[in-house]
Amino acid sequence: MNSSFNPRRRALLAATFAMPIATMAMTAEGIAEPTPPAFKSVETFTASTWRQLLAKGPRPAAYVFTNTFCATCPEVFELLQQTLADAGPKANPVLLAAIMMDAQGDRALAHARHYVGATRLYAFDGFEPAIRQAIDPKWRNVTPYVVLVGRGGATQRMTGPPSAKQLKDWLA
Amino acid sequence: MKNTLVAALLTLATMCAWAQHAQHQPRAQLASSVAFAPDGTLWLAGLNAQGELFVQSAPANGLTHWGAPRTLVSQGEAISADGENRPKLAFGPKGWVVVSYTQPLAKPYTGMIRMLRSADGGKTFSAPFTVHTDRQEITHRFESIAFDADGVLHTLWVDKRDMELAPKVGKKSSYRGAAIYRNASTDGGATFGPDIKLADNSCECCRIALATGADGGLRAMWRHVFEPNVRDHGVAVLTPLSSEDGHIVPAAQVVRATFDEWAIDACPHHGPGLAAATDGGFHAVWFGIRKQGGKDEAAVRYGRLKADGSPILESVRALPDERAEHADVLAWGTRVAVVWRSVDGARTTLKAWLSGDGGQTFRLHTLGKITGDNDHPRLAQQGARMVAVWRNANEVQVHELKF
Repeated sequence: MNSSFNPRRRALLAATFAMPIATMAMTAEGIAEPTPPAFKSVETFTASTWRQLLAKGPRPAAYVFTNTFCATCPEVFELLQQTLADAGPKANPVLLAAIMMDAQGDRALAHARHYVGATRLYAFDGFEPAIRQAIDPKWRNVTPYVVLVGRGGATQRMTGPPSAKQLKDWLA
Repeated sequence: MKNTLVAALLTLATMCAWAQHAQHQPRAQLASSVAFAPDGTLWLAGLNAQGELFVQSAPANGLTHWGAPRTLVSQGEAISADGENRPKLAFGPKGWVVVSYTQPLAKPYTGMIRMLRSADGGKTFSAPFTVHTDRQEITHRFESIAFDADGVLHTLWVDKRDMELAPKVGKKSSYRGAAIYRNASTDGGATFGPDIKLADNSCECCRIALATGADGGLRAMWRHVFEPNVRDHGVAVLTPLSSEDGHIVPAAQVVRATFDEWAIDACPHHGPGLAAATDGGFHAVWFGIRKQGGKDEAAVRYGRLKADGSPILESVRALPDERAEHADVLAWGTRVAVVWRSVDGARTTLKAWLSGDGGQTFRLHTLGKITGDNDHPRLAQQGARMVAVWRNANEVQVHELKF
């Protein structure tokens, strides 16, 4: 582990470990039943945030870029959450971030309940196309846009739900 | 153990403080619409920095000289003005003017289509009212409005009442996408006919394009979800509604207008544009991803449609800009204008592709450049006069198009 750990990153990683545990409740059948996280605020997301997360962020991680009118986006969270539940404790902790592209503050928070299993909630801060192009110059605003970061830092990018192979490679 | 617990609590406290610090003011919602009034005045409807609905206008002989914005009564309700969901305005006969918008509700993905009407050319407006009969807290969003040649006001929107009723397969609805619903008003928005389904299985969050055909009737073009998950486009005729005898108008015949064969379980957020051509057909622009040589080729494309909405495949071509977004199209005689914005990092360029031969050939023009937040460009037309209107955080630019 990096010895030059700054407090900000320490906090981020600690929450990454803590929140999946806090947001998972075991049912009587022993199946992990996700409950929505109690987000009280939204973190800002800029091109700089993305560079930092890719370079120094927790791994494995899944970043799901979404917006207030993307009705197909919640299904991706369900898929990711189910994948983690199926993988069991050996897969955790995993950073599972929802990034709202078109709303900030309360408007973004209002959508948090759709992102079951998300451990972080971000919102774009700035001109949306510019931030989007910093993430992927060829991404044309189709959502959900998903970036899976593996344990070794390998990234997979896709629009729409990841395939079974992509999910397997992500957690390998 | 005690130390660990204290450390965890301190960590969480740090996280909360950091997150609170990071909370920013919401961005301005710049998405607007423009239209010419019968007297040649150019009008714009949008939201101000406080999120209030306003209109402003510029005189026919000075389109860059915008008058003071006039805030309309909106009862402080939320109004969508992001991307392709934006306030609209339309001028009809008899001094009728209508302004519409989607009011997002507390439950995500839900909304109501709201409207204000004027019967005195826009001097005064009514309080906002809901346009559709259905009042469930479900999706009624992404409305489009237009008067046809007979002065009938048509309102169309994306609606999920059928999806809500459809049986579920697991957690998912068995219904594909959403539906396009419509109604009509013969008195400039004072009263409306029943909600009528235009088509099942539309995409869920793309704008609906409307254009008046050679017969004076309206055509609608929208992103459709063809089986199983192909997000191409459909066109349908807005046939007259006849409900006085209780007759239910059946869903219109959907004609497939594009064949990108883009199969994806995701939301493009990128609806089409449509304009009537002189031969009875249409000019269309749309975004899609198609396989070419084994690769995904994303592009905004232009193509000609026949009068029934089916494509003239040999006319289809990509706009000369791989960064093109949210193009708009208008036509007058053999003149065809396509405008779009092209974003390259922080800088955005407004581009126009102009044709003087009915869309056979085009010339590319750069109309403006800006750094910072901006809306998609909108085209407005009065006869042969066409303008591109582009709103940014500081101003509203008007570019007269010269062919």
